Amino acid sequence: MIQRKLTLVMENKPGALARVVGLFHQRGYNIDSLHVDPIEDFEPFRFIEDELGIKFQVGEVSRLTIRTTVGDKLMRQILRQINKLIDVIAVSDDESTYLKGILRNENLL
Amino acid sequence: MKIAGNDILIQSLINEGVEYIFGYPGGAALHIYDAIFNQKDMQHILVRHEQGATHAADGYARATGKPGVVLVTSGPGATNAITGIATAFMDSIPMVVISGQVQSHLIGTDAFQETDMIGVSRPIVKHSFTVDKQENIAQIVKEAFHVATSGRQGPVVIDVPKDLTNPDELFDFNYPEKANIRSYNPPVKPENHQVSRAVDAILTAERPVIYAGGGTISSNASDELRELNELLDFPVTNTLMGLGVYPGTGKRFLGMLGMHGTYQANMAMHNADLIIAVGARFDDRITNTPEKFAPKAKVIHFDVDHSSVSKIIEADIAVFGQVKDSLKAINNYLSSRKDEINREKLSPWHQQIKEWKEKHGLNHELYKNDSDEYPILPQAAVQHIYQESEGKAFVTSDVGQHQMFAAQYYHFDEPRKWINSGGLGTMGFGLPSAMGVKLAYPEEEVICITGEGSIQMCIQELSTCSQYKLPIKIFNINNLALGMVKQWQDMNYDGRHSSISYEDSLPDFVGLAESYGHVGIKITKNSELKEGIAKALAIKDKLVFVDIYVDPNEHVYPMLVAPNGSLKDMWLGKGEKT
Repeated sequence: MIQRKLTLVMENKPGALARVVGLFHQRGYNIDSLHVDPIEDFEPFRFIEDELGIKFQVGEVSRLTIRTTVGDKLMRQILRQINKLIDVIAVSDDESTYLKGILRNENLL
Repeated sequence: MKIAGNDILIQSLINEGVEYIFGYPGGAALHIYDAIFNQKDMQHILVRHEQGATHAADGYARATGKPGVVLVTSGPGATNAITGIATAFMDSIPMVVISGQVQSHLIGTDAFQETDMIGVSRPIVKHSFTVDKQENIAQIVKEAFHVATSGRQGPVVIDVPKDLTNPDELFDFNYPEKANIRSYNPPVKPENHQVSRAVDAILTAERPVIYAGGGTISSNASDELRELNELLDFPVTNTLMGLGVYPGTGKRFLGMLGMHGTYQANMAMHNADLIIAVGARFDDRITNTPEKFAPKAKVIHFDVDHSSVSKIIEADIAVFGQVKDSLKAINNYLSSRKDEINREKLSPWHQQIKEWKEKHGLNHELYKNDSDEYPILPQAAVQHIYQESEGKAFVTSDVGQHQMFAAQYYHFDEPRKWINSGGLGTMGFGLPSAMGVKLAYPEEEVICITGEGSIQMCIQELSTCSQYKLPIKIFNINNLALGMVKQWQDMNYDGRHSSISYEDSLPDFVGLAESYGHVGIKITKNSELKEGIAKALAIKDKLVFVDIYVDPNEHVYPMLVAPNGSLKDMWLGKGEKT
């Protein structure tokens, strides 16, 4: 088991963070560290705007970074479970990204 | 036109085509109830306990495919609904639950009947919404129905603070045409390369099994599944949640698989070289020990939910998308390669399955024994119910031995006819869910097969059935104890029967039913069984409660050997193992 980093782009809505944190507890995963702040520089995320055909406004979306220590198989399961949360726009680990529910085999975030 | 928040909420539901809303009023929901009073397009069904409301809405949803709708008040109203929401969540049933909440300015003050419903329900909903202002109510309702009914379906909670339904503040009302959730995009159609890989595997299989679950029903893909099997002639097994998606009397049907699955279904899965999982999730009641599951099989997994695939059992080929669309794509592609389908190749496999079935298959003719020398077998009771209702009824059940006997011995030829709590295993589900089914299909026979333990968990709904004149037929498989617990205690705890008996405290169910204005029938002998069941079914305008006293020592078999067993390790009878 190694420590891995997950990056999420999610709607900055009440309760959204609780859904992510709650998911870790509910599914028996552990959080080593967590960092969240609203996205102010949208430059690295323009591709998401292009994909969704929208324009992010300041304060609308947050970036969340979670470190967790798990094996490969569980990592894949965590990614898939997070991808299912309705408020999550994109989530990635080192190898793959779920962007609005669609899997890409690279870390885009 | 300008209308108030309470009317916006109710008009939004009407715009969604809601015909019934199951609920129970209370302080925080009073404005909403006032809006219900002032309309005629939707009927409110007043239950006797909020758990009953959620199960009734759930039964309605399972039978019709449309979302069930629930309205409860804050605090205890909301928490009483939790078991029903969890039941729907585990079985992926579309449901929208509206909970009243204390006024916005009181939230967080421990106000009277305040509970953090969004927090309490978070792990058991697909998504939830808090109404923040009246102008957003219509959009939130639209989004809630969209989330509940698309992708992998599930329950959605809308929490509504009381001040936002205040009848004195008016707003414009336009019901939105579509939901627009930019971060939500459930897969619909499968990708071509997945389809062609699946077909390649299908064409080379020699010992294939189709294993279809509840997802096939939620996706309304029964016709596509049957079409697939017209092409392939593969053996088919269904999960507890999938019964009816392939005909229970079909030529290639193996019966249910898993914990109490048939010998032939479990043996076929264990020995298969290809398992085609369709809308099924390999839960622990199916796989037994995952490391020992189907050691020779390649797995193709059709599912709309990425997280279900390779969660328990690694899939060799995954086909993501609505099962209906995926099966259509498979059927089309397979039809174009029809000349490569070799049915002859399957005959040794069919022969092997036939031998398994002959050796240890279920005895479906127990009902023919009408001797009073023996107590009534619960299996025979279910077989009689099947015979007398000609296999055409909607059957709801509770949880326990009677549920397994119903699943084993009532053959469902159509999907959505078998209504039971598979994932959560909720006792108390049977009667209220039957109410939802009966409201949806008033002309159809609706039967609840229950036990004397389960029925008492929501027995208050007998009163609701009386109020709305719901002539459900309840068959209480009465073995005077919590049968499934007792069976485990017999098998694993040297027969130490801890807390499974009610001693002499069971009610007179016939008298109880009659006190609500229903009809009660008591059956204690084999010779009374056929006639008693027929008599109950012949009464069309009243609820009939049939209390059937069965052998208290009967066990459900087959039963997988656990822990550490595989699917080929089964108990076949008392002390008899494979």
